[in-house]
Amino acid sequence: MAHFEIRDLSFSHATARGKESLSHVDLTVEKGEYIVLCGRSGSGKTTLLRHLKTVLAPGGKKSGAVLFDGRPLEDIPVGEQAAKIGFVMQDPDDQIVTDKVWHELAFGLESLGVEPRAMRARVAEMACYFGIQDWFHRDVEYLSGGQKQLLNLASVMAMQPEVLILDEPTSQLDPIAASDFLNTVRKINIELGTTVILTEHRLEDIFPYADRAVVMEGGRIIADDVPGNIGAKLWAQKSEMFSAMPAPVRVFYGADQQGSSPLTVRDGRTWLSRSFPEGAAIKALPDVPLPLPGDPPALSLKEVWFRYEKEGADILRGVNAEVPQGCIYGIVGGNGAGKSTALKAIAGIVKPYRGKVKLFGKPIEKHKAAELFHGGLAMLPQDPKSLFAAKTVREELLEMCKDEAKIAAAAENCDILTILESHPYDLSGGEQQRAALAKVLLTEPKLLLLDEPTKGIDGFFKEKLAEILKKLTAAGITVIMVSHDVEFCAKHADLVSMFFDGQILTTDTPRHFFGGNSFYTTAANRMSRHVFSMAVTAEDVVALYRSNREQAQK
Amino acid sequence: MKQDAFSRCHPAVSFLFFILVMLFGVLIQHPAFVLGGICAALSYYLLLTGAKGLKFLLFSLPALILIALLNPLANRSGKTLLFTVFNIPYPLESLVYGTVLSGIFLLMILWCGCCGAVMTSDKFTSLFANLIPALSLLLVMVLRMIPNFMRKGRQITGARMAIGKSVGGDAKYTEKAKNGMLLLSSLTDWALEGSIVTADSMRSRGYGTAKRTSFMQYRFTLRDGILMVLMGFLGAGVIVSMFRGNTAAAFTPLWDVAPLSPFGLGCYLLLLLLPTFLHLKEALTWHILRSGI
Repeated sequence: MAHFEIRDLSFSHATARGKESLSHVDLTVEKGEYIVLCGRSGSGKTTLLRHLKTVLAPGGKKSGAVLFDGRPLEDIPVGEQAAKIGFVMQDPDDQIVTDKVWHELAFGLESLGVEPRAMRARVAEMACYFGIQDWFHRDVEYLSGGQKQLLNLASVMAMQPEVLILDEPTSQLDPIAASDFLNTVRKINIELGTTVILTEHRLEDIFPYADRAVVMEGGRIIADDVPGNIGAKLWAQKSEMFSAMPAPVRVFYGADQQGSSPLTVRDGRTWLSRSFPEGAAIKALPDVPLPLPGDPPALSLKEVWFRYEKEGADILRGVNAEVPQGCIYGIVGGNGAGKSTALKAIAGIVKPYRGKVKLFGKPIEKHKAAELFHGGLAMLPQDPKSLFAAKTVREELLEMCKDEAKIAAAAENCDILTILESHPYDLSGGEQQRAALAKVLLTEPKLLLLDEPTKGIDGFFKEKLAEILKKLTAAGITVIMVSHDVEFCAKHADLVSMFFDGQILTTDTPRHFFGGNSFYTTAANRMSRHVFSMAVTAEDVVALYRSNREQAQK
Repeated sequence: MKQDAFSRCHPAVSFLFFILVMLFGVLIQHPAFVLGGICAALSYYLLLTGAKGLKFLLFSLPALILIALLNPLANRSGKTLLFTVFNIPYPLESLVYGTVLSGIFLLMILWCGCCGAVMTSDKFTSLFANLIPALSLLLVMVLRMIPNFMRKGRQITGARMAIGKSVGGDAKYTEKAKNGMLLLSSLTDWALEGSIVTADSMRSRGYGTAKRTSFMQYRFTLRDGILMVLMGFLGAGVIVSMFRGNTAAAFTPLWDVAPLSPFGLGCYLLLLLLPTFLHLKEALTWHILRSGI
């Protein structure tokens, strides 16, 4: 018997005036399956997942049926559902109810009225399985984002669910924590046989292991197959979701191949080796010249040192950088390397105790705060919600400036004209970010700082963001972004710097930078480096593949 | 937090102890009891907090002296006149009374310090989880929300500063006030949004579906039982002595202090010194064990 059976499910939100967010969805989930549900934000993934648990189902008009273990879901008591269907949400912080790790682990069991002795055993078991025993007594507040999300997973698993549903669980985590988290989910699926239904933007880490991938678009399921065949279907339909596929998939079909695609870097390498047994005739694409520092550079950092406390450790240890005007400058590096602190030092939020920060040739301390943040520099924070304070997006923009023409221009630029009257919190992650960006742009900055601009945003919105950034640089604005997202930096930055141990170590064009790295680089590069050199994006690899083929035909 | 023998006992033991000693501390004004109480409390306080605690006490000393010296100006009913300040009499009895009062004040500071170190928030909540489950959960959630709020507040402040909407700096006063208001509204919006997620997370994990049980972090052992019975007896001894009038003390207009009762004072001091005994006993055991190796 199927574990979940969704039959002809249609749904429209109470507020949506009849517009369906799910239409005629049919899906069967077998016991023990690992299913990844993908689709761009707003495609109905979250709505679908929430219908798999009665207490979370949104209010509105619903038709069709959801069966759990052959029984209609509504007939199953909520207590039983709470135990059998585990649900992990996106935000690591707000899901946590109590102040201590041990208490959070026990919360579900306490609610179900499990007898204290049995509860102790189950909590202990969970803490060991998830490696939580070292921080069992800790205050939740002192955990990292990755630890918080792992705690959320463990406290759901403590109730021993048969199905685990995860709604974009890693969107707020850095790549290393995200991949740890997903490995744990996979371990649960393999070792315990728990059915897993997961939505996720980061498909590289999941596709190779999932049993099935289901793609949604506009509330419908447009593809449902084993991951190896999904790419072919999306390519044939020319779906915009194709751009979210892992790099090996995109290269494979981009190079006009048929059949089942490679899913991992390893398989991609094997396929490329087979395609070019004697090596490639054309090894690299023509080089892009290094942008020269304009006069004066938009930003120059000289020997910048900073620490938060007098006795504390230095966070910035002699940062040197020169950012040419009108370019997109990406700073990559691991967690806690000091990237965000460097951004704060540039924005003048923290004051370095040694070294010079010059903005367009003028030391930053010579700028008055009023002029620095009006027509000087501005920063888009990691979480766009920290900028929202009004009821509609239009009011948000009015807070910055009263000039209707300027507001219209910024809204046009950031592509938010259609959502001006919405409440900022009703928007999707990508829309929220564009609204926040429009707000930031109304300060008319010459230098724009972005802190993790691609965090929690799907592939489609990333491309849109990149378009906006290109427009801004064309208008002479310089963009500096700090990011974990190597794929995004490789594709869209003009210059990339590596931040490590409080310093900028190397700076180069993306091709030279990532082409020279062997670990800290893009999947496309790792997959193709034995055949091509300095191909860092899927597009690069496809272009090289095609030009080699064309030459061979001549 | 440094753990000691007494703070490792069941929260009910610690809770009973602090209830008893604070109650007696406020009710009994007999100088011998107050002095003995301060000595006993000080010994445990210093064992718990060390040099840091001593520093705090030195800082609060001026306030205590001030209470003692100023009391005669407020309460002038003493009979033995020492001198007059600006035509206000300054009687001896009132000075003595002030000194005792500031002693009681010090005693409370000491016990509160000990209580803060021993009764951590999770002990409180797990103690009340069985008695008043709803209240206990509420307390736990508040303890979770406060730091969460602070963090979000800092995040918003930083983010708004970087678009020139700072609440500090060289902007106009009205501008800063407006920015402060917007910051607050931003924080409220975010908190409300977050609370919806928290509520979903609670319901998703079965909140309200059955009668809540609670995770027992602390086991109640025989040793805890013995300690509680012992405290009960000593406490009863003190109460008996209170009813017999052995702890009575009046200071004004003439001072009238009950003759010292060795039984009452003995019970009182034994009760107060219990944590110190446990602490020293453990230290001694460790010392012997280590020198035995």
